[in-house]
Amino acid sequence: MSTHEIRTSLLYRIARFAVSVGLCILFAGAATALADETCNSPYLASLIKGQEDYAYVWTLGVSGVGDGWDKLVTIDVNPASPRYGKVLNSISVGARGEAHHMGFSDDRRFLWAGGLDDSKIYVFDIGADAGNPRLVKTIGDLPERTGFVGPHTFYALPGRVLVGNLSNSKDHGGVTGMALYNNRGDLIRSYPMPSTNGGDGYGYDIAINPQKNVMLTSSFTGWNNYMRNLGELVGDAEAMKHFGNTVVLWDLKTMSPRKVLSVPGSPLEIRWSLKPGDNWAVVATALTSKIWLIKQDASGEWQAKDVATIGDPSKIPLPVDISIAADGKGLWVNTFMDGKTRYFDMTNPERPTQTYEKATGKQVNMVSQSWDGKRVYIASSLLANWDKAGESDEQFLRGFNWDGKALTQTFEVDFYKEQLGRAHHIKLGSKALKAAYADQPEQQASR
Amino acid sequence: MQINPNNRRRADAAGARAWLLPAALAFLIGAGEALAHEVSSARADFVPPEPGSYKLERIQALPDGAVVDTSNRRARLAKYTQGRITLLSLMYTSCSDPSGCPMALYTLQKVRRDLEQEKSTGSRVRIVSLSFDPAYDKPDVMRAYGAAETSKRSSVPWDFLTARSPQDLRPVLDGLGQDVRVPADRSEAEKPANLTHMLKVFLIDRNGWVREIYTSSFLVPQVIVNDVQTLLLEDGVKLR
Repeated sequence: MSTHEIRTSLLYRIARFAVSVGLCILFAGAATALADETCNSPYLASLIKGQEDYAYVWTLGVSGVGDGWDKLVTIDVNPASPRYGKVLNSISVGARGEAHHMGFSDDRRFLWAGGLDDSKIYVFDIGADAGNPRLVKTIGDLPERTGFVGPHTFYALPGRVLVGNLSNSKDHGGVTGMALYNNRGDLIRSYPMPSTNGGDGYGYDIAINPQKNVMLTSSFTGWNNYMRNLGELVGDAEAMKHFGNTVVLWDLKTMSPRKVLSVPGSPLEIRWSLKPGDNWAVVATALTSKIWLIKQDASGEWQAKDVATIGDPSKIPLPVDISIAADGKGLWVNTFMDGKTRYFDMTNPERPTQTYEKATGKQVNMVSQSWDGKRVYIASSLLANWDKAGESDEQFLRGFNWDGKALTQTFEVDFYKEQLGRAHHIKLGSKALKAAYADQPEQQASR
Repeated sequence: MQINPNNRRRADAAGARAWLLPAALAFLIGAGEALAHEVSSARADFVPPEPGSYKLERIQALPDGAVVDTSNRRARLAKYTQGRITLLSLMYTSCSDPSGCPMALYTLQKVRRDLEQEKSTGSRVRIVSLSFDPAYDKPDVMRAYGAAETSKRSSVPWDFLTARSPQDLRPVLDGLGQDVRVPADRSEAEKPANLTHMLKVFLIDRNGWVREIYTSSFLVPQVIVNDVQTLLLEDGVKLR
């Protein structure tokens, strides 16, 4: 039996098991995305509303592929450039720690990136020269200072970065919290995820609505699960119980939990509608393949509501990343297992309707769109031990044009051919702006 | 926040500067009051938490830098941020985006009026507006810009500061993470520049720690007043 056949057989067994227990509790949803221009923190300066120049791809190192280290890869994505679709440079961090997600500081001068295994946080300077990022700081003491493991989400607050984590250093389970740093990388304090009043203590994404003074957090799973071989994990019924089933609504100003919303099936990426006046958010659940709507009811109480199904849950499409249109009227959803990119009409957020789908790879994870919605970027890797094997283990960044009717591929960077590794999180960059008075930001000391 | 370049007056030659400055001064005198009719504070669809019901973290120490006042007297920024709780607004006078510096000016005017109402509060707070466009915002420009505020008798002093050079300002801007950006194709001869920046107002405690940072999405007068009072409570001040 070939590796591919083994994996295919495994998936069949997984699907059969899922159906047998009446739940889609298999795989956990993958740690995914926070990738596109429309998903950035509302506190971010200088959103790119025109043509982006660069895609930064936080890439997992693979033993025997290039230098084998995790790296930040910068790719030219401006169609007018002679180097369109080409790798401009890559910066290896000298470690292989399960590179995963990134996030900008509020001034868009620094790009923070984390490793889910070694819990290191890397700070890249992209303000001095957007086309040539520089590693300027490494934070290596997150577990010692906070007790948290697996820095996942990097969310800009004014002058600060709020880091959402996935696990803890005590038992490597899913109970975790958030760590607040200032933009210089100094830890300010930490916040545990609520584990009472319905809270499961798990963490994943962060999304803020300043006008409502509301912050939402979602929940995934701990190091014990996300670092485990997928085949072993799904065969361990006890382990499969340890996934998050909640979204927590926080008072942003006081940073205190206000309400725990029941959202079963590992809710991952949260996206607020960016349309002025809209005050709703959506989240996709990895295990149950649903879209949930979070908004206030007629009495002003915040509620979570299952409003749509993604694909056929019995086949475990495994929705991973989502990307909302700037006008709030559309939502891209990537499903890892079938490699599909789906578009949902969100004109009525109470009834999202799928209007398009396309297989964009043999495995797809991150989806990012430009502010105008005309360009869509897809990356392939989920987690080192969860990615497919054999011929299905494509590793790429692919660019597409979206005309409202169909996705048309415009370029591809093959991350194995380029000796880079597994392509994970995408952030966009622009050379249109430069910092005044700051020719070269001062080098910050590593620790 | 993107500043629309078309909203910004340009003077691309030294000759133009000669007539532009008096015109700008005329425009800027009493600017705050005039702008109050055109801009508003950030919209808040919530009731701010009560003073003292939450904690404001020590985000970072306030960096220092060399500034000049409206009489062109040079001093350290720390001179204007010690002893009282300080609201520090980084701005430039020719910003005309309603959700930019004019919003900060309008909001701080409202905050000042609110703080003046309570004796125990007003005498312990000050406001500082510091320009990050020293090439254009000379002391006389800042004097004209702040005239409407400095001419008032108030228990909440309001200082208008600038710098003699970008280099003097750089430690403050870098240290506070105040992005100020110019288009990559900007001509160095173009003054005043078209500056792109994120609006930021800093709340600084008596010991020089930044305790809150307000951007345009959270620049709500009642939130700021409650934060000031939270710091006062922390200092043991009894509010009426």
